[in-house]
Amino acid sequence: MVSSGRYSRSTPRWRRVRDLPRFIVLAVLAVIFLAPLYWMLSTSFKPEAETISIPVQWIPKNPTLENYNEIINSPDGKLLRWTWNSLFTAFAFTFVHVTLCVLAAYPLSRMRFKGREIWFWFILSSMMVPGIVTLIPTYIMMLQFNWIDTYHALIWPGVAGGFGVFLLRQFFSTLPRELEEAARMDGANSLQILLFVILPLSVPVLVTLGVFSFMGSWNNYVWPLYVATSPDMQTLPVGLTSFSQRYVTEYGKLMAGTALAAIPVLVAYLLAQRYLEQGIALTGMKE
Amino acid sequence: MTRASDWSPRRGRLFALNDSNPLVPYLYLLPHAAFFLVFTVYPVGYGLWVSFHRWDLLSDQQEFVGLTFYRNLFDPSTPQSQFFWKSLINTTLFTLISTPLLVGAALGLAVLLYRPIFGRAVFRAIFFMPGILSVSVMGILWRWMFDNQSGLVNVIRQEFWGLPVIQFLTTEGWAWVPIIVGTVWWTVGFNMTLYLAALGGISHSVYEAADIDGAGPWAKFRHITVPLLAPTTLFITVTTVLASFQLFGQSQVITNGGPARSTQSVIMYITEEAFGNYQLSSASAMAFVFGALMLVFTVIQFRLMVKDLNTSRER
Repeated sequence: MVSSGRYSRSTPRWRRVRDLPRFIVLAVLAVIFLAPLYWMLSTSFKPEAETISIPVQWIPKNPTLENYNEIINSPDGKLLRWTWNSLFTAFAFTFVHVTLCVLAAYPLSRMRFKGREIWFWFILSSMMVPGIVTLIPTYIMMLQFNWIDTYHALIWPGVAGGFGVFLLRQFFSTLPRELEEAARMDGANSLQILLFVILPLSVPVLVTLGVFSFMGSWNNYVWPLYVATSPDMQTLPVGLTSFSQRYVTEYGKLMAGTALAAIPVLVAYLLAQRYLEQGIALTGMKE
Repeated sequence: MTRASDWSPRRGRLFALNDSNPLVPYLYLLPHAAFFLVFTVYPVGYGLWVSFHRWDLLSDQQEFVGLTFYRNLFDPSTPQSQFFWKSLINTTLFTLISTPLLVGAALGLAVLLYRPIFGRAVFRAIFFMPGILSVSVMGILWRWMFDNQSGLVNVIRQEFWGLPVIQFLTTEGWAWVPIIVGTVWWTVGFNMTLYLAALGGISHSVYEAADIDGAGPWAKFRHITVPLLAPTTLFITVTTVLASFQLFGQSQVITNGGPARSTQSVIMYITEEAFGNYQLSSASAMAFVFGALMLVFTVIQFRLMVKDLNTSRER
């Protein structure tokens, strides 16, 4: 994808020297980009008095885990509970969303039936509806279903996405027909073809959609803010905001809470980096 | 293909998953269609219905008021009209400032990172990483970076340059700085990744031809890279404009819309009207007016995606 040779020991000296200014610019930018994250971590290990001391303490003088200890054990922190809510919601949402999109994209890309094009364009055109338009009516529906403050409200309303169907249909359409026909000769039915022929060939796009769905749910803010309001049902992004209003002047604790919420995603990102960036490239490619 | 009829002799079995059953495609579509109709199609109509009535959470009977709530939005004497348009101007201001930064900086980073360089993968990860944080983590972080007393930005300004403290979070105008800086930090890596993918698609031979003609780096960037990236730039600009108009979390967490509603975004005001004032009908009307304005950008994005669809079909 993005490559035209790698940097290695054999790279000629003249190229290293020529690239030096570019490297310095990148290094400076990288330091600026990392500074807020470093500052968050550094502060989270400082005793409260040190957090606002001047001159700035770049490295904690008396590092302590007290902030982490307090926010994890504090009766009104509930950070672990919010993490669980976010994790459960994101996994459940991703599973249902990807499954529904696979099932819908399969006939839309590989079967002939009446109304196929119309239905596909109908689903596609739903992507033109801005989220704010359905926010309030869906909220009223949640009230009517008695789903406020339940996982149902967090999971179900977004599972039938237009984008997922679009992405998968695009990919499924590119797979060669011959494979499918060979399986059919062997007596496979359409479900077996989907499970044993199509899906194994679609792992990259499934991972892409999965990662996107997970991140979308994990970082969702507006919807959970209004449908999951009790402290026990809040998700991490929402809970963290209420937490930050409580500890607004206790920077050590505030940053420890923020770090606890950030570290799992940062680690997950480093593990999934390749897929994530490929996925973005895949979904945004214009040529 | 002739053999196909041999292994599917029992035509018409309604739950048989083979080609003989005309219902099979619809069975696969059904689960998605059910949720799609209930949670996407129906709410659009229902929202319209709500906006034509005076929706009362405590009552079964909703009074029909027609276009009243829409008319209120265009009647300057109502508070709804004042706050709605003010928040729309705020959001437009944010979009006008942040979009060029998010497109330009992303292009800059991508060009810096495209050719191989020591530590390229690490740099890419560093620039992309902030984007995976949730909006509240990002907001809390930048609210604190720009804190009046102990925020890193003011502390550095004072300690290193002896400049006076700027009350970023509580001064009209300045309050946009933390929101915009935070947003650029948070999302520029995403656009950068799109640009990197597009740069990968430009053939080397174009640059080699330019080399023969004696073009310098700037001339190559100006006359080859920029024009060839134009479709990507259009796509990134449209998606960024759309995303910027959805501004919510950053304002909510960093400034809470203040001071004096100067950083309140449209989505923030609509949700305040709906869930703070319980004016669900008024808020629905705003959502439709705002949605109609957004439709222009959404249609452009949609067309760009459909162009993509048609190119891949021809392959």
